[in-house]
Amino acid sequence: MNNDIPVQALGPQGEVMAHAVDACVHCGFCLPACPTYALLGDEMDSPRGRIVLMKEVLEGGLDLLDAAPHLDRCLGCQACVTACPSGVPYGELITSFRGWSEPQRRRSPLDRAKRYAILKALPAPRLFSVAARVGQYAKPLAPALPAALRGPLDLLPEHVPAMQPSPPLTPARGQRRGRVAFLTGCAQQALAPNFNAATLRVLARNGIEVVVPEGQGCCGAAALHTGARDEALRLVRANLDAFNPDDYDAILSNAAGCGAGLKEYPVILHGLHDEARAKAFAAKVQDISEYLAGLAREGGLEPFMPASRPLKVAYHDACHLAHAQGVRAAPRELLRMIPGVSIVEIPEGDLCCGSAGTYNLEQPELAGQLGARKAGHILSTTPDLIASGNIGCHTQIQSHVRRQGSPVPVMHTVEVLDRAYRGEL
Amino acid sequence: MTTEKLALTTTSPARKPRSGGGGDNALAAELTRLLGPRKVLSSLAERLSYRFDAIQFGVTPLAVVLPESTEDVIATVKAARRAGVSIVGRGAASGLSGGAAPMQPGVVVSFTRMSKLEIFPERREAVAQPGVITLAVTDAARPHGLIYPPDPASLRTSTIGGNLGENAGGPLCFKYGVTGDYVTALDFVDAEGELHTLTRDAYDLAGLLIGSEGTLGLITSATLRLTPPPKFTRTLMAHFAEVGQAAEAVSAAIAAGAVPGKLEFMDQACTNAVEDYLHLGLPRDAGAVLLVDTDGDDLDTVEEERALVEAACLEAGGVVRRAEGEAEAAALWQARRSVSPALGRIRPQRMNEDIVVPRSVLPEVVRQIRALGDASGLKLVQFGHIGDGNLHPNILFDPRTESTEAVHTLAHEIALVAIRHGGVLSGEHGIGTMKRDFMRDAVDPETMTALWNVKRALDPSGALNPGKILPEEPHA
Repeated sequence: MNNDIPVQALGPQGEVMAHAVDACVHCGFCLPACPTYALLGDEMDSPRGRIVLMKEVLEGGLDLLDAAPHLDRCLGCQACVTACPSGVPYGELITSFRGWSEPQRRRSPLDRAKRYAILKALPAPRLFSVAARVGQYAKPLAPALPAALRGPLDLLPEHVPAMQPSPPLTPARGQRRGRVAFLTGCAQQALAPNFNAATLRVLARNGIEVVVPEGQGCCGAAALHTGARDEALRLVRANLDAFNPDDYDAILSNAAGCGAGLKEYPVILHGLHDEARAKAFAAKVQDISEYLAGLAREGGLEPFMPASRPLKVAYHDACHLAHAQGVRAAPRELLRMIPGVSIVEIPEGDLCCGSAGTYNLEQPELAGQLGARKAGHILSTTPDLIASGNIGCHTQIQSHVRRQGSPVPVMHTVEVLDRAYRGEL
Repeated sequence: MTTEKLALTTTSPARKPRSGGGGDNALAAELTRLLGPRKVLSSLAERLSYRFDAIQFGVTPLAVVLPESTEDVIATVKAARRAGVSIVGRGAASGLSGGAAPMQPGVVVSFTRMSKLEIFPERREAVAQPGVITLAVTDAARPHGLIYPPDPASLRTSTIGGNLGENAGGPLCFKYGVTGDYVTALDFVDAEGELHTLTRDAYDLAGLLIGSEGTLGLITSATLRLTPPPKFTRTLMAHFAEVGQAAEAVSAAIAAGAVPGKLEFMDQACTNAVEDYLHLGLPRDAGAVLLVDTDGDDLDTVEEERALVEAACLEAGGVVRRAEGEAEAAALWQARRSVSPALGRIRPQRMNEDIVVPRSVLPEVVRQIRALGDASGLKLVQFGHIGDGNLHPNILFDPRTESTEAVHTLAHEIALVAIRHGGVLSGEHGIGTMKRDFMRDAVDPETMTALWNVKRALDPSGALNPGKILPEEPHA
């Protein structure tokens, strides 16, 4: 759409934003894909509406504070990107916009404290783990606490497991087929250490040597998507220093949100001096399921032990895997390789579960509605097992499925593979 | 004709704080008093979000109402009338002629929350409020062995209210007809705020409201006819070196007696824009692609018709591919549905035509339009429901580097090609603001007077969606 965004004044991110606004023909094909439009049914809480609002703010015709409530409700799920025939890079737009606008926001002290705590705790697994343990003991007090604190407590699992740091090197079993670097993730290490352990075992079993480079940290996505751009740039550069793409066949992530974050590095650094490094880095990034499916095609995977009984697996597409990274087929292909496993598709499968990074901490009400809707749809397929490739979805879905009274196990895709190898499925 | 009249550009002034509503918003306050805060949007961010459709940006409304019942619509119309402001109805705003973009500061009535839908399988009918999503009707009817055939490309987004306002068609309309053919009754609120129920007996006043683009009344409910879907469908794709050959194949196939369920075409630029989006392996080098469904309850006839179309395509120099299975057919039709928005990949803005010409002149018309496009130096593409003679020539342009006056001139020339060949200006997208200037070429003065008399009879103060369809009368 036509715009008068003062690109020069906004710098390299201005180019990114103006390009995205240009590409939108305001056709409305994105509306049915948008979770907040599904819940609220109004134009300003749709992708098309948000693009118009961002354009108006950037042009100077609308105050940021007027647009902010609607922009804050965006989950960043990018379902609209999948739905958009015009190729609008909406994710790049909203991320850049949040980075540009955050320094201008006036937030309440409680709001600021919460954001500060999230941004400090998320990238620091040990701190997060301690916080989660404290939270675990505070859970019984939740009903007496302010809503801002209740949300995070609701999401904590009943039992916060012990940390299991990943070894710096996991050798390949048998003949070595490849060498990869692995990003261990942040919250995931504290909440679900088994995801990483399973990942290392499955890779090693298939002849892959896994390096966990020293000095790696948070991918920066959480900071970036909440608008803390300077913090994000610091984290991004630390990772560019830690991972030398020339040393590895691939750089792997097993958390969809982190993987999408890593693939976004060239956009974050667009127009800055590390842009070329970021491109070389991002070109090597793959989700664990993409990489394993690639191995399966080139020479195959070690055979899986059959499941002990026929298993109906409801595979949930994490938005950051399906929409942001375009990875849909690979996880399904892998799960189907396990004898006895069949996949069921979830109604309204493209709609976000409401987790969306820090969304369920910042917009607990909408996140809760989406979580309940997703859990209902998943349980309607009467699955024996729920699989997904993202820690955020995992926590959200588990919490809502339990709330609806179902004991169905929820696992990471790679955990299912690992169990199949161990004959525990 | 000025470029301003064409209104191809955003009317918003940039980098200038706009009025937050302040003094104007006595109207919003009154509506809030009448309807409650849930149903009225009055902040600037909210109102800015309701000033466009899929082709054009208009004026920021003073207030937006999200009615939940017919009573809410009546109260809104009466309040707007007391305040002396205009009223624009709006569905999903996926329209392609500027129909839902307000041209004056007034009230926008957005029907998205009036989405009640009831299916009556025993009488093969659905009763839908205007905010029902088009596809939802078929989704709800299918378990009863019925479908709702009108299938605009935007069927996942667009609403029944919008479809009625524009008398929307779609690929199926070649054999099965357009929205208006499926309406048996409707309720509407007139410019005075009175509710009426129309059937199609006596004077076909329902027919008058259908396709009136919200200029004669606000439709609040419609009774829609449902039909059983054809038992068998077969899909075929053919591609040609040149767009005229595709049109020859269409004329020949229909002359040979084929009545395909769908018969669509897209030219090379369209195919490539879609291919960039869906990566289906469409023939990027072809000058034109035809997509054809033959359908019916007798498989032999369906196959026979496909063979007739296939022969006509081969005769015209085409290469034919039969879709194997439903998945491939569905992918091809998704490709066709995505053409219009995918064109945004080529240039940020477009002028969208919606002409209909007799099928006998199709080859000549598409070739003449192609030649006009080539001579203009602008990017012109063609696609559409070629089986109906309904063509969508689109001029794609960048207003920062290309002259909107040249765009308008080319659009006018294309409209004249249609009129010269016995055609009309709009098949399904409406006249809106985009083709309003061409109406004088298409309609003789006496008929225009008759149209104005109808408008004045139903909307004497001109409050309903002003600035659409009818050009101002010279002596008005």
